[in-house]
Amino acid sequence: MNTIGILLPRSTFYTSIGFDLFDGLKYGLLELEREDIKITTENIGFGADKQQCYRAAEKLLLEENADLVIAYISHRTAELLKPLFLAANKMLLVLDSGASLPTEWPSCPNIFYLSLHNALGAWIASKKATTDGFLNGGMVSGYYDGGYLHTYSLSENFVNSGGTIKFNHVTGYKEDDFTISPLKNYLDKYPKSALLSLFSGDFVQWYFKGIQEEFHNENLPIYLSPFGLEETMLENAVYPSNSVKGVASWSKKIDNIRNKAFVTKLESLGKKPNLFSLLGWESAQLAVQIISLSKKHSNKISDIAKEFQSLKFETPRGKIHFDVKTNTSISTLYNVSVIEKNGMCELKLDSSIENSKEEFEEMCNLPLENSTSAWFNSYTCI
Amino acid sequence: MILCGGKFAFRTIQLLAYEKFLYAIGIGKGNDIIVDALEKETEENKMPFKSFPNKKSMSEMKDWIFSIQPDYVFSISFPFLIPEDILAYGNHKFINFHPAPLPQYRGVMPIFEVLKNQESQTAICAHFMNAEFDEGDIIFNDPINIEEGDTYGKLTVKLSHRLSNVVLNVANMIQFGSKIPSIPQDEEKAYFYEKPQYSDTYIKWKRMSANEINALVNACNPWNIGADTTLMGEQLKIIKSNVLPMSHDNSVPGKILKINEESIIVACADNQQLEIEIICSDEGILKIKDWKTKEKLIGIIFN
Repeated sequence: MNTIGILLPRSTFYTSIGFDLFDGLKYGLLELEREDIKITTENIGFGADKQQCYRAAEKLLLEENADLVIAYISHRTAELLKPLFLAANKMLLVLDSGASLPTEWPSCPNIFYLSLHNALGAWIASKKATTDGFLNGGMVSGYYDGGYLHTYSLSENFVNSGGTIKFNHVTGYKEDDFTISPLKNYLDKYPKSALLSLFSGDFVQWYFKGIQEEFHNENLPIYLSPFGLEETMLENAVYPSNSVKGVASWSKKIDNIRNKAFVTKLESLGKKPNLFSLLGWESAQLAVQIISLSKKHSNKISDIAKEFQSLKFETPRGKIHFDVKTNTSISTLYNVSVIEKNGMCELKLDSSIENSKEEFEEMCNLPLENSTSAWFNSYTCI
Repeated sequence: MILCGGKFAFRTIQLLAYEKFLYAIGIGKGNDIIVDALEKETEENKMPFKSFPNKKSMSEMKDWIFSIQPDYVFSISFPFLIPEDILAYGNHKFINFHPAPLPQYRGVMPIFEVLKNQESQTAICAHFMNAEFDEGDIIFNDPINIEEGDTYGKLTVKLSHRLSNVVLNVANMIQFGSKIPSIPQDEEKAYFYEKPQYSDTYIKWKRMSANEINALVNACNPWNIGADTTLMGEQLKIIKSNVLPMSHDNSVPGKILKINEESIIVACADNQQLEIEIICSDEGILKIKDWKTKEKLIGIIFN
């Protein structure tokens, strides 16, 4: 019997994150009629404790003899685990928020990243702001979200596209410390600025509430990345204004048969599909392929990686393939707007972004110039 | 503890010190400037330090290590074989970081061999040490791509940068893991390369292809200045070249076909052409455009 190991985090914002990832994988395997594959789990907390992450991965590999390990972890933690996977000659499939840049750490044939592309979404959204006519912008983020390199992709591409970052506002870490009041002064000084925003989890709801309270009817142009547009958070966020848009990596509204199957299955179980169950669901397809290739190539990792890089996968968010330089998945992204539904928020799909591969490659060419993220934890896991 | 051979290990030393893994440093055969610099740094940081300038001084290593009692000893390009009585300090306590994949590239200058053999990928291999050079059980080979145009110097710098992460990863592995997986080396795939001699760096025009010569040029730059050759009885080194994928109607290999403003074009044995841009002669290092006597060379043959 084949075994898939999965490292599951926890999050105070997304309280069901571990269940969502697990359910996605479990029902994804069932959808593929692979009930024969065993799933074994280990808890990694917030993903910030290096020893906990290492020991959990080690247990899955050396005690549970997992054929491969799936993990919702940061790039930094993947780097920590790399020697273990090299030594064990096994594959690690990272479920990646995409909040870091794929070039921050060197790639390795043992590690593939299935990405939600938060940095790439921010990169494209900030460019969109300039094409919408906003050449002045302010980066708005939280103490937590601001610690990842999606801030770098957002600001660099805004500037590369002709814009100027006029101000930065980083809010507090807790709800009591969360304030967007300083934006008033900035917007008085730099009117018609786009708010290039990076938030996730509850921060999105606090941000929208703040916008609605302090800038009622001003229709501030707000641009968001995939995690700021996560639908289960949006449905509990007050509708802030008429000009909120951005780039999403997935929506339950994407119209294809695989998304319908995914959404229908999760909802039939009384669960809300979200970005995490999506990652779990997609990872089932990839894991089955890795198991098959491992058998075909007698566990020779370089051959497995080479063939895996050549494959295309049909998933709920469209076609996915892997970039050979970074081993990171590339998928269709979506231009979206936030619309009102009973005073709260809902996503409207405007168009699909077909050149995400070219945008991704351009982003990967961005010189890092020693920019780095010090956060170890899995994104949104605090 | 780190045992090193020079500045290739410096970035790693800095990172391990920053991460508070480093307790002592030993250096083998290093030049005086490097030894002095390391000694000064270690003194300032109150860290044990010892220099092993020659094989004879290795007799002092056992007492030094046994008195310091490090948890692990990491070796990075340390030039001397560690004898068994020192390895007896602890089973699996000595880990070497070899700058090429093992078991295929054993030896003292594997970066030269990897480039000369036109590999597209190399690796840093972490392995436990035994009483033979580069033969202990492998923990892992961490692969690194070789880019077109990488010279010995460029690849060494790239490996040095990557090495620091690899060594830190192993330190974390030791700290957090319950055991370190390793496998014996496959002797059927093993090859030991001796230190390159003049015959290894000398261009054999009659039988080497343009790609092989270009790879040799890159593999020799800068440690040997360039690849060795002879022109009209004078010894030269070719420092920078490119392959021109064009035939030359089977001219004599080594024959100078054309003189350009900034390069000379030479026939190779595989009917391809080599463009030479920089050489080293008795006059010093010269760009072809500055080589005043080059116009007289058309039709002359390298050998």
